[in-house]
Amino acid sequence: MGGMHGFGPVVVEKDEPVFHNRWEGSVRAIMRRTVGRIYHLDEFRNVVERMPPAEYLRASYYERWLHALETLMVERGVITLEELRSGRANGPATGANIQHELAPALDARFKPGDKVVTRNLHPAGHTRLPRYARGKRGVVRTVNGPFLLPDRNAHRGGKVWEACYAVEFTASELWGDRASAVDRVCVDLWQSYLRSEEDEA
Amino acid sequence: MTKHDHHEQGDHGHHPEAPSDLEARTLALESLLIEKGLLTSEDVDRIISAYEHDIGPMIGARVVAHAWVDPDYRARLLNDGPAAIRELGYDYPTSTGLTVLEITEKVHHMVVCTLCSCYPWAVLGLPPTWYKSAPYRSRAVSEPRLVLEEFGVALPADVSVNVWDSSSDLRYMVLPERPEGTGGWTEEQLASIVSRDCMIGVARPRVPAEANR
Amino acid sequence: MTSVDPRIANLDRGAALPRKNGELVFKAPWEGRAFGMAVVLNEKGAYAWDEFRARLVEEIAEGSPEYYESWLSAFESLLIDQGVMSVDELGRRASEYASLERDPVF
Repeated sequence: MGGMHGFGPVVVEKDEPVFHNRWEGSVRAIMRRTVGRIYHLDEFRNVVERMPPAEYLRASYYERWLHALETLMVERGVITLEELRSGRANGPATGANIQHELAPALDARFKPGDKVVTRNLHPAGHTRLPRYARGKRGVVRTVNGPFLLPDRNAHRGGKVWEACYAVEFTASELWGDRASAVDRVCVDLWQSYLRSEEDEA
Repeated sequence: MTKHDHHEQGDHGHHPEAPSDLEARTLALESLLIEKGLLTSEDVDRIISAYEHDIGPMIGARVVAHAWVDPDYRARLLNDGPAAIRELGYDYPTSTGLTVLEITEKVHHMVVCTLCSCYPWAVLGLPPTWYKSAPYRSRAVSEPRLVLEEFGVALPADVSVNVWDSSSDLRYMVLPERPEGTGGWTEEQLASIVSRDCMIGVARPRVPAEANR
Repeated sequence: MTSVDPRIANLDRGAALPRKNGELVFKAPWEGRAFGMAVVLNEKGAYAWDEFRARLVEEIAEGSPEYYESWLSAFESLLIDQGVMSVDELGRRASEYASLERDPVF
């Protein structure tokens, strides 16, 4: 059985949806194809809501959408005002699409079995290196990611993707001699939280 | 004449923010439905409250049951959790990864999120309140055996307890051991004894007493 | 105690209710109201859940990528098609709220 991709079942329409005017259907289709590509949904909403009140009230739902689409396409350079008025294209679209960030390829410094030491970070802001695991020695168990480093993301310092490791610590390393000799704690740690044991030497 | 016109004339009064397009449509619907006697606001409140607290899908139990009866599936599940879940026809979000941890005779797994309360909700539904509590979040990593005893799970000293702190975008789910006395059971029967707590690692699946005949 | 209908709670694939840690997420109060209204009327027998669900799936496939916007559109179109209210009635009432002519508290 093939994998499901979570996009919903394939809908086979028995009857075409009936719009009051066919142009409303086109407006919907255009919106669906361009949202997330030429503009963000929030921007679209903004334009709808910023319509002059008198126009807004007179316009129907899809007339407002049409207004927003026209505004955004012209703003983004996809079409010119002249083309909009004449209804004829004068050339290809020149505006740029919004950039979506995809995860880069995994570039991992460490591999399973490597001995690492966690940094003794005490940052003022956000980090996901738990306090109990700072300045501790462990062994890399699995390699995952890359994931966005939350420390940078949280402070809008730009997006940094890093390998993330499940690092295994013995209970005694974390809690002292009275802890069980056989128990372990595994924590998911971003690469910049770790140094190799050799760095420490 | 609308309130917008007054505002443009430089009125100094405090104006509430106008509802957005979507808010206005929703308000219109609710007010009209009330006027037409088809529902009350209390009806709507009651429903929202009920659904906000529903337990969600227990997909995890079915995944565990299938892994118990099919060793090849079990291997695939341990190798790539999300793919194996989708194999059974369930949706698993692409935004978070999932690692399935296999309990064996010598290793017991337990899951926690010390930093907040990250939880594999896509397979287990709502996290229990205790999972999100400060005592569990701090003691699960520092004294797991005591916590397990409080949950009624006693482990021999030579079994290694591995506690997994879900501090990143990965989620963890425990694959418990299949108990004795379940030979010949259907997957549905097996799934019925896999509780949410078993898949967090604080309980073991138990054969109900009546089943032993 | 109101019980939850699993057919509603377990809407699946693209039509799945937005959740965080298993709990339903409403980004704004209107989303909760839209959810509640559609479920209440089903509970009271105004329409079968499958009727609503079919429209929801259609709207998601064809309309805005925002889940509850699709939900709202599906609900509106179902009520209009059933003759519960007219497009004009709804449009007029919505305009009254949008222009603050009508007080949002009722």
